[in-house]
Amino acid sequence: MKRFLSLFFLLALLSVQAELWAQVAVSGTVTDATKGDPLPGVSIIIKGTTQGGVSDVNGNFNLQAPDANSILVFSFIGYQSKEVPVNGQTRLNVSLLVDNKALEEVVVVGYGAVKKSDLTGSVGTLKGAELNKTPAASVDQLLQGKIAGVQVIAPSGQPGAGATIRIRGVSSLSGSNSPLVVVDGFPWGDAGNLKQINPEDIESIEVLKDASSAAIYGSRGANGVIMITTKKGRAGAPRITLSTLNTISTLPVKLDLWRDPIEEAIYANEAALNGGVAPDQLPYLGKERSGVYFPSVAELRGLDPNKPQWPYNTDWVDLVYRNPFSQSYTLSADGGNENTKYSISGNYYKEEGLVKLNYFDKYTGRLNLDQKLTNAVNVGTNLILTHTKSNGQQVNADRSRIFPAYDETGNYFRTASNDYGNPLAVLNEVLNTGKTIDVLGTIYANIQFTDWLQFRSQLSSKYGNSVGDNYQPATVTFSGAEAQGLGSVSNYNNTELLNENYLTANKNFGDAHRFNVVAGYSIQKSVTRTSNLVGRNFVNDNLRNENLGSAGIQTISNDLTRSKLASWFGRVNYTLKDRYLFTLTGRADGSTKFGANNKWAFFPSGAFAWRVIEEDFMQSLSAFSDLKLRASYGVTGNQGISPYQSLDRFGSGFYWSGGVRETGYGPGLGGSNNEQGLRLIGGLGNNSLKWETTNSLDVGIDFGFLDQRFTLTADYYMKNTYDLLRIRSVSPSSGYDEQWVNDGEINNKGFELGANAAILEGNGLTWNVGANFTLNRNKVVAMGENNLVPVGTLYETIRQNANYFAIGEPAYSFYGYKTAGIIQTLQEGLEAGLTGAEAQPGEIKYVDLDENGVIDGNDRTIIGNPNPNFLYSFNTSLTFKGFDLSAQLYGVQGNDVFDFRKMTPSRQIIRWTPDNPSNEYPRANSTRGYRASDFFLTDGSFLRLQNVTLGYNVPTGTIRGVKSLRIYVSGNNLYTFTKFNTGFDPEMGENGVNQGAYPRPRAMSLGINLGF
Amino acid sequence: MNYKKYLYTSLFVTGMLAGCSKLEEEPYGLLNTGSFYQTESDAKSTVIYAYSVLPEVGYYSRGYYIITELPTENLTQKADAGVGDFELDELRTTATNADLGNIWSYLYRSISRANAVIINVPNVPNMVEATQNQYVGEGYFLRALHYFNLVRLFGEVPLRTQTIEDVTQIPMAKSPIKDIYDLIISDLQQSENLMGMQKVEGRANKVAAQALLAKVYLHLASSKASGAPGYDFVTTADDMYAQAKLYAGKVINEQSLYGFTNNLRDIWNIKVYKTPGVTEHIFDAAVNVAGPAEGNYSKIQNMFLPALGFNMILDDGINIGAGWNHFQTEPAIYNSYTENDKRKTELIVSSVKNEAGTVTNLKISDFSRPFTRKYIAELGTDRIGDASSVNSPIIRYSDILLVYAEASGPTAEGYAAINQIRNRASIGDLNPGLSAQAFRDAVVQERAWELAFEGSRLFDLRRTNAMEKVLVQQYGKSITSGAYFFPIPQKEIDTNPLINE
Repeated sequence: MKRFLSLFFLLALLSVQAELWAQVAVSGTVTDATKGDPLPGVSIIIKGTTQGGVSDVNGNFNLQAPDANSILVFSFIGYQSKEVPVNGQTRLNVSLLVDNKALEEVVVVGYGAVKKSDLTGSVGTLKGAELNKTPAASVDQLLQGKIAGVQVIAPSGQPGAGATIRIRGVSSLSGSNSPLVVVDGFPWGDAGNLKQINPEDIESIEVLKDASSAAIYGSRGANGVIMITTKKGRAGAPRITLSTLNTISTLPVKLDLWRDPIEEAIYANEAALNGGVAPDQLPYLGKERSGVYFPSVAELRGLDPNKPQWPYNTDWVDLVYRNPFSQSYTLSADGGNENTKYSISGNYYKEEGLVKLNYFDKYTGRLNLDQKLTNAVNVGTNLILTHTKSNGQQVNADRSRIFPAYDETGNYFRTASNDYGNPLAVLNEVLNTGKTIDVLGTIYANIQFTDWLQFRSQLSSKYGNSVGDNYQPATVTFSGAEAQGLGSVSNYNNTELLNENYLTANKNFGDAHRFNVVAGYSIQKSVTRTSNLVGRNFVNDNLRNENLGSAGIQTISNDLTRSKLASWFGRVNYTLKDRYLFTLTGRADGSTKFGANNKWAFFPSGAFAWRVIEEDFMQSLSAFSDLKLRASYGVTGNQGISPYQSLDRFGSGFYWSGGVRETGYGPGLGGSNNEQGLRLIGGLGNNSLKWETTNSLDVGIDFGFLDQRFTLTADYYMKNTYDLLRIRSVSPSSGYDEQWVNDGEINNKGFELGANAAILEGNGLTWNVGANFTLNRNKVVAMGENNLVPVGTLYETIRQNANYFAIGEPAYSFYGYKTAGIIQTLQEGLEAGLTGAEAQPGEIKYVDLDENGVIDGNDRTIIGNPNPNFLYSFNTSLTFKGFDLSAQLYGVQGNDVFDFRKMTPSRQIIRWTPDNPSNEYPRANSTRGYRASDFFLTDGSFLRLQNVTLGYNVPTGTIRGVKSLRIYVSGNNLYTFTKFNTGFDPEMGENGVNQGAYPRPRAMSLGINLGF
Repeated sequence: MNYKKYLYTSLFVTGMLAGCSKLEEEPYGLLNTGSFYQTESDAKSTVIYAYSVLPEVGYYSRGYYIITELPTENLTQKADAGVGDFELDELRTTATNADLGNIWSYLYRSISRANAVIINVPNVPNMVEATQNQYVGEGYFLRALHYFNLVRLFGEVPLRTQTIEDVTQIPMAKSPIKDIYDLIISDLQQSENLMGMQKVEGRANKVAAQALLAKVYLHLASSKASGAPGYDFVTTADDMYAQAKLYAGKVINEQSLYGFTNNLRDIWNIKVYKTPGVTEHIFDAAVNVAGPAEGNYSKIQNMFLPALGFNMILDDGINIGAGWNHFQTEPAIYNSYTENDKRKTELIVSSVKNEAGTVTNLKISDFSRPFTRKYIAELGTDRIGDASSVNSPIIRYSDILLVYAEASGPTAEGYAAINQIRNRASIGDLNPGLSAQAFRDAVVQERAWELAFEGSRLFDLRRTNAMEKVLVQQYGKSITSGAYFFPIPQKEIDTNPLINE
């Protein structure tokens, strides 16, 4: 009896269980509402539970609903979510609408993601698909003009060159000004050279601009944060894609070089004569100079009765440059099922430079894998492998046309035994290669404790290695000759180890209160090792740098720096009635880099947003689809200095004592050189060294009209950075020159605007127009005891720096003399306060600002500003049937360029001469000592037709086995509207100095995207 | 539910990691005060560090010659040299002069390193006493040398005798010239007592201390005697001359390590002066072409050598390469030698050949001028590329012989000393029976010829109150500022709040 009883209970229990588990089987198909195509990978959740499923490759799904009244939630990236009540049905056909509104779009922020409508901070977003299609070794360059508030400066067209990125201006004197890059939750470090990522692998890029969004990265957030999310796997049959990009590039403009050897020789003779060279010592007189024959002008003209026509007229542009061919191929696959999802890709990239033999090669592999272990636990990995190789260098084509490239015996032609200017010799003979290997990986576990509480732990590691090989033969370069062969191998390797652990809670209390809370801690260690092996004085050049041990003189250096960052962080998002949004964020960072008294610092921020659109009074204004007001205030930091700067450090030196090289150690550590070339001595400790601190305020507004067809986002911000990490000058009589301290202040304020309009929609024809606008005003407020601090390089031409930080002026301002045209008479020159050669007619007339009758250093002032008044860009895209056409314009307005290359041959021709009293271009003078002055300054504004792309999507099913096929042509750097020096690209580095960068190619690409 | 297990495991693991994170820094590859000055080899290394600053670019391998030679009648500079060089050459120096700023920094860096020796080496345990004394003596010698340079260049300067342990020590007022000389003399006396008689290239010994002390006393004596600005504090010139003679006499008469070199060119021949047999060079800033950077090797020869576009071969067949034509010999010094003076005929190059044998004659009025062969090195052995083994002589025997002559006055010893120098140069004996003043003027002129291009002339003119007399009246230069003392560099004024108190 007992047995029966037991059996009965067991059966009863089972039946209850059965009733609990699977009452209603529901199946069906999910399709695209407009196209009718099946949608694989759609997530289906039974509302109020964590259970559900995913649609298969044909869009079919099959799951068990708890009861006939269950509600199924269908969601899929890029589509509007849909809730469907089962209502007793067993078969459901569901169609999803494409999500145009984008308000429900998820935006990645630090340690989480939020719906765009819930954002309180200022975050710029970009989809990977919106990046321009053009060769770019580093994805940073492709952000140019894409996001308001993000300035991308890419002055070099050299393959593999990086970019400089500034978000809301420059805020540090000596620390880093680059934003932090975070890839899939792993902070990689400073932006600027993101070569490890294949642009094709990018799902989205988010830029955290204000303190509220960046404060979660604490002491690394002051320069903004760029979040990159790579493509993740989606369930469904494998989707295989092949993308190719083949590019032919050309020089974008005709270089401004001498075209006529006669004019070149006349100019050189005149310059030498004016420079004080005796008339019988001028270069082109038909005489031998240091063993090389220099023709006379008459001979060049073919008018010397005793000499034949001079045979040479070398076109160096032809010899140095080429039309390079670049290639990129990406093969990727993604797919999976409910439990396992993968996304894998490989890329080969080869970019050839405009300069012959110069190239950059890259191989990238990526794997993202996610595995569901139990209903509660997901584990996975993100892995990136990158190999690169670069070869070659920049050389110039501005060599004299008068001489050949090679002499009669086939050797490189030299105009004197110490002439190292033959670009072909450098191009062919100097070894300059770099190889890098990067391995970046994360393993993670996500644990879903309850439907509202989740824990994530991740362990990430980043390994970067580079080896540089360099050899300068004894006869090709000055350094090579000086050393009698100069070879080196330089090694760099860096490891980063990161562990992060955080809890995320999403909980709603009633309909009115929604909470999202993140809290956790993190520890990151970084070790960088370098070593440099240099050999000088080789027997011959045959082995180049392959046997440095055979060098007559060998130099070794090595270094290791390590730092550690420990952090606690947290964020609370509270949404009241879907319309009042509050965010509180904080991070406490402890860093080894800082003084014993200041290891830890706390960076709090708060933000409030009001979704006005949700208010009742907006209901009557039906044209509005979005209206949100945002305000945030907070503190972020910058720790961008090298380790050990807070410690007392000794220097070392060698001395030959009795003919033996001995090593000395003692106080005073040699560092960088100052503007006079004096090596500065540091090594004084500072126990109080700490973070730079930035307080920033952001107010913004988001508008949307007509169901988000027209959207506009505007932000105004003020950033005040203080406790600047700065090298303070100390009295040189102490034996030291400098010490790291915190003092000084820099302000940035600005305005950003982004607008989008879908002008035409539907009927197979769409037309979108977008624009963005970035304005930043920077001001140096204080720098301790200094009013004027030179930054960057000391230029030999002007014997001073071009750029300065000056109180009350923007960063990198130009400092020098004012000029008032060209001196026309000696009397005028002397009256101007000039003497000697500088007072001669045809020279530059400097202005005696202090009116003491003498032109001297005290007459210098701020003469220009390399920071633009504003940046702007426009983009437009038109689609019709399978065709699409898009274009992007990028503009920079109101910046000054310090143009060292101002006196190009076309201007030398119209120089001052007694017969041509130019007031603009000085006379020829080979020994002129230029002063830094506004003579060199030129407006650097430009508007560039950055990209035009025309594509065609071959209809699905046209080719058997091919799911999708898109073919496009893309033109990059097509035309630049500018008044800048012709022959040069007007885009300069942050310091606005033109010394003749590697030309930016005009690139024409053919691309194919093939989906299987 | 077993999620608690995950939670606890993960929190435990991560808590362990966080708990292990200390934030103290352990510097790599860097020494500092805490770990140093423990052993004899630390002590030696401290001394080496103090010496290693001497041949650096800002000091004896370039800067010293720019500062001391351009203002005189010896050298001018190429047209595109820095404005600092022009100010010096034209005697119109300002506080912002870059060359003066550089040498100021280098002199005080050198003092800081010498102080590190003087303060720390006596406390290093378990050292052989003689070694410890030698090292500390070298520290005192070097500090005295740097202050002697400082006081002769700038006059009143901050007198630093301690190492910097804290930034609060940095602001410091200037000391009177007298106090600076008191320290120099006491340092050199200590150094004479502490050091031994080892002769090591590039290192100082007892003779070097005596020689430098003789120069110091002579500077005080002649400054007082001539009424040169700043030297009123010296009580009597004669006492100082006597001291100068005493110490120079120790060098001339009481030791045999150093002595007179008969062949002029041997004095400047690397193959001679880098051997143990050298007798002329009492103290050099030593370099070697095999050094890793300028400062360990020298480029000083390039400052003097013209840039003719080819390697120059001298009359004795040495290929010395080419230079930068930075320094250009002034006609004033060149024309002041008598035609047969060997210091002109043998030590100033006025004709060179290229590798093909073509002769180029250098004229004193040309762009490429005759140049001194005091700083030359043979290409391929003592010179590779721009690097060379050319030492910068700081004290040499002939200098001290002339100090002895000047201190002795027109006595038999005085005449014997100067005539030894003159006869080597083939210009015959000095007129006998000169007055003390005339004799000393003759010695100073002899120094101008003998020690030309070696950084001696400016100080000789200053200590004889003769800047105007010689440079303006005799050679037609003009002096706007800095005749006797150069202005203290602006950087020091800007950063040292006590400098003008």
